[in-house]
Amino acid sequence: MAQILLQTVWFIPCYPLIGAFLSILWFPAITRRTGPRPSGYVNAILTFFAFAHGVIALTAIWNQPAQHQFIPWLNVAGLDLTIPLDISAVTVGATVLITGLNLLAQIYSIGYMEMDWGWARFFSLMGLFEAGMCGLVLSNSLFFSYMILEVLTLGTYLLIGLWFNQSLVVTGARDAFLTKRVGDLFLLMGVVAILPLAGTWNFDELAVWAKTANIDPTVATLLSLTLIAGPMGKCAQFPLHLWLDEAMEGPLPATILRNTVVVETGAWILIKLQPVIALSPVGLKTTIIVGAATAVGASLIAIAQIDIKRTLSYIVSSYMGLVFIAVGTGQTQTALTLIFAYSLAMGLLVMSIGSVVWNSITQDVRALGGLWAKRPISGISFLVGAAGVIGLPPFGCFWALSELAGGLWNTHPSLLGILLFVNGVTAFGLVRVFGLVFGGKPKQMTERSPEVSWPFILPMTVLMGFTLHVPHLLAAWQLLPLATLNYTAAGLLVLSSAIGIGAGAFIYLNEKWEKPVRIGSQAVQDFFAYDFYTAQLYRVTVVFAVGLISQIISWIDRNIVDGFVNLIGLATVFGGQSLKYNVNGQTQFYALTILFGVALLGLLVSWPLLARLSLIVGG
Amino acid sequence: MQLQYFLLLAAALFCIGTYGLITSRNAVRVLMSIELMLNAVNLNLMGFSNYLDPVQIKGQVFTVFVLTVAAAEAAVGLAIVLTIYRNRNTVDMEEFNLLKW
Repeated sequence: MAQILLQTVWFIPCYPLIGAFLSILWFPAITRRTGPRPSGYVNAILTFFAFAHGVIALTAIWNQPAQHQFIPWLNVAGLDLTIPLDISAVTVGATVLITGLNLLAQIYSIGYMEMDWGWARFFSLMGLFEAGMCGLVLSNSLFFSYMILEVLTLGTYLLIGLWFNQSLVVTGARDAFLTKRVGDLFLLMGVVAILPLAGTWNFDELAVWAKTANIDPTVATLLSLTLIAGPMGKCAQFPLHLWLDEAMEGPLPATILRNTVVVETGAWILIKLQPVIALSPVGLKTTIIVGAATAVGASLIAIAQIDIKRTLSYIVSSYMGLVFIAVGTGQTQTALTLIFAYSLAMGLLVMSIGSVVWNSITQDVRALGGLWAKRPISGISFLVGAAGVIGLPPFGCFWALSELAGGLWNTHPSLLGILLFVNGVTAFGLVRVFGLVFGGKPKQMTERSPEVSWPFILPMTVLMGFTLHVPHLLAAWQLLPLATLNYTAAGLLVLSSAIGIGAGAFIYLNEKWEKPVRIGSQAVQDFFAYDFYTAQLYRVTVVFAVGLISQIISWIDRNIVDGFVNLIGLATVFGGQSLKYNVNGQTQFYALTILFGVALLGLLVSWPLLARLSLIVGG
Repeated sequence: MQLQYFLLLAAALFCIGTYGLITSRNAVRVLMSIELMLNAVNLNLMGFSNYLDPVQIKGQVFTVFVLTVAAAEAAVGLAIVLTIYRNRNTVDMEEFNLLKW
């Protein structure tokens, strides 16, 4: 049974895809009378099937070598586009993580989308996402990974734009699509360029090729830069990070998925491409610089946000920056561990704040407060999620972060400083959110805030359980770096967490400290609160340049290109209109014309004779 | 060398006829100019016939034909002028520019 399921592991992406197509039946224009709820149930059931399939297949592949399957797709002259599948414990485990988180998010959505009629569209897009991500982790080819990334970009556009009657949703979906698309298009350049160099798109073969590749350093640099650009957009790294902020306009259950797994699709590609990127020292350096800048910048932006969803979205960018650092310094295994531990904890955080938003209506942390006594489960979930994200032993991310810190200890001490700083600031930011939302006195918006119903609580508590068990899981998979743990680095990590938590608690759990908090000048606070004014930055650089060039080209097209063709037409019209006056109605003029013609013809015919005549006369 | 003088005279006459053809305002004078041109042609034909073909004198035969055709043409031409005069009460060529563009 398990072996059969392992052999058919390619079917895992098909379950959610079937669900996505079945959801169409409950579009409001098709099922007019009975409502869209069955679409959610169908999708959740199919996701459960996918999850169960993945779990059983995982038991079969456990401690087994990786298997490869090939699905023929297209074979044209000189190009063999067979879909290679990589079936290993890591990839099947990743599908289990994706389908598991999606199952929880879908159950959560059943509660969250209670008062919404757009279930069919929502759940079909969630299914599409799940299918795309499962396909992505199973596919062992850069080409097909790229294809799926593009499908997911389109899915992001549609899913963020779910409630398209809100203007901010429309602009947010637009930015998310275009920003990710730019990164993907750079990635496409890399995908196309790597084939003549390596002769393959298979990740394993690429890794083998990269070991002995001897290519021009400039080519290697450009190639690795394009390959980084795709994940840069996908993972919301500087400077392609604004879309994730604006994507918070979309429905919250989709945010669970996006913050945990969707942004990690880029990191997955980056991890798989690490050997190729490592061909160029510049590429590695760029990865590290982008990751470090994002990690520091986004964590600082996160503590200056007042929108509860945006306080988390910048932490997402920041942690993806840490993954970039890990990949840039060659610690791909650590990056995978970090992704695993982080996604569970971040999913829990998003679920917790979603449950707060759902019946406190406002997302403004300044209008929330004093929920701890009334909302214990949401509060504990937030605390567990926060503990799981920051470097706090014995929770999940501590192990990954300390492994990362140990790896950076000797080689990149400055990056270790950045890691400690980001960890401390993130701890501060999460305690700040906790203090503002759950601590203090109830405010007007949270005067009456009951705990939410079971579809929220169930996935939240289940995920809380998983988050708490991450260290056990890591221990079971022999991923706990106990033997190699650098205790000094880990101690510094714990210290930075403690400082962050302490400072956060001192400011935000302290009734005596005046709220809203003023630290530094207003300009500095605004600088971080407005996300380094990235929107304005885009507007005056890329958007302005493209807009200007578009207008110029449009003007040239309308006036010069069209004008040239129109000029020919006009000239013809003018010629006809003016030459017709030759037909002036005077018979004698016609006679004159005939005479001219005859005379001219006579001259032409007798020209050789006349020329000789003049010679004779002249001579 | 006498042929040349005939030809030059005929050419002069033809040119005078041409000038009259395109400058006259009176339609009858236009017809008269045409007669001048035809007579210039006849002079040519006679000259050529005399100096180049004195045996078969095909030029003279041509001239006879041209004379008869010119007479017929002048008759028809005058009939046309008369018809126009009946309708428009004028023979001024500059008034006959109705069929333009």
